[in-house]
Amino acid sequence: MPFPPPPRTLLGPRRRSLLASAAGAALLVGCSTDADDSGTTGGSESAAERARARAASDSNTLLQHYDAVLAAHPTLADRLDPLRAEVVRHAAAFGGGSGGSTASSSPSASASASPSPVAATPSDALTDLATAERALADRRAKALLDLPGELARLLASVAAAGAAHAYLLTEGAK
Amino acid sequence: MSEQTAEEKVAELTALQAALAAEHAAVYGYGVVGGRIREGRRTEAKAAYDAHRARRDALVREVRDLGGTPVAASAAYALPFAVPDSVAAVELAAELEERVAGVYSDLVRASAEGVRGTATEALREAAVRAVRWRGGSVPFPGLAERAATPTASATPTA
Repeated sequence: MPFPPPPRTLLGPRRRSLLASAAGAALLVGCSTDADDSGTTGGSESAAERARARAASDSNTLLQHYDAVLAAHPTLADRLDPLRAEVVRHAAAFGGGSGGSTASSSPSASASASPSPVAATPSDALTDLATAERALADRRAKALLDLPGELARLLASVAAAGAAHAYLLTEGAK
Repeated sequence: MSEQTAEEKVAELTALQAALAAEHAAVYGYGVVGGRIREGRRTEAKAAYDAHRARRDALVREVRDLGGTPVAASAAYALPFAVPDSVAAVELAAELEERVAGVYSDLVRASAEGVRGTATEALREAAVRAVRWRGGSVPFPGLAERAATPTASATPTA
């Protein structure tokens, strides 16, 4: 069954240049407003930059949620550390803080994030985290419909990872 | 992305056909998985098999809608490794999902709204099933170019 491979190279360079420029722009744009970007004209450069910045700050906010849960329930570390590490990589892929340490993300991101207090029991805390992962994955799945191809592809992958995290945080239990 | 150029339409059709070919292979592969997997996970394998058949049928329709001739399934596919037992069957299932995730991420890139939404959903389902089979997560499902980045984060723990 011979058919041509998908045109991966077609759009590759464009993404790379976008990556370079978006990192700076990320800090200038406001963080998580909950608007659903309905008015944006699809595919324009600035809309893409905003979406990328938004994705980075969303991942950073999620990271803070992980850290809050880890601080409250250190026994969950084995379970959460691998997932948290992936969230760090997501933030980095969107041009947000290179990750690693807790407080190193952009100041604007941390200022806007006020995760609700962590649940008293580890299992409730995991459920809340799973809910946050799933909600973000849903939001990203919608947001990517209007974005340029390469960024949409990245966002779709990260949304899929988020859904998989949600699974591991709940049903994957025990 | 409301208006697609002719070139973009060709790219979308190509990516749709690639997704269809991968779903044909997944359906075949899950046939093998179903024959080897242990009783306790057989229902899960059957559900995945059904899901891939449904995706395959939907892709056939989408290819036709774009004026294409859907690629046909091969009579048989070379398995990536021997599948003598349940452990190998689970590994094959995970592998099938990862391959499918790869074509759907490409389809997301190449497509416009309607098809893109479906591809996004299919990518997500494949990623979740891959995690169920593997017991561990990967940071960028379907993005082969990021899979090789050095990290220990994806070590399966279950």
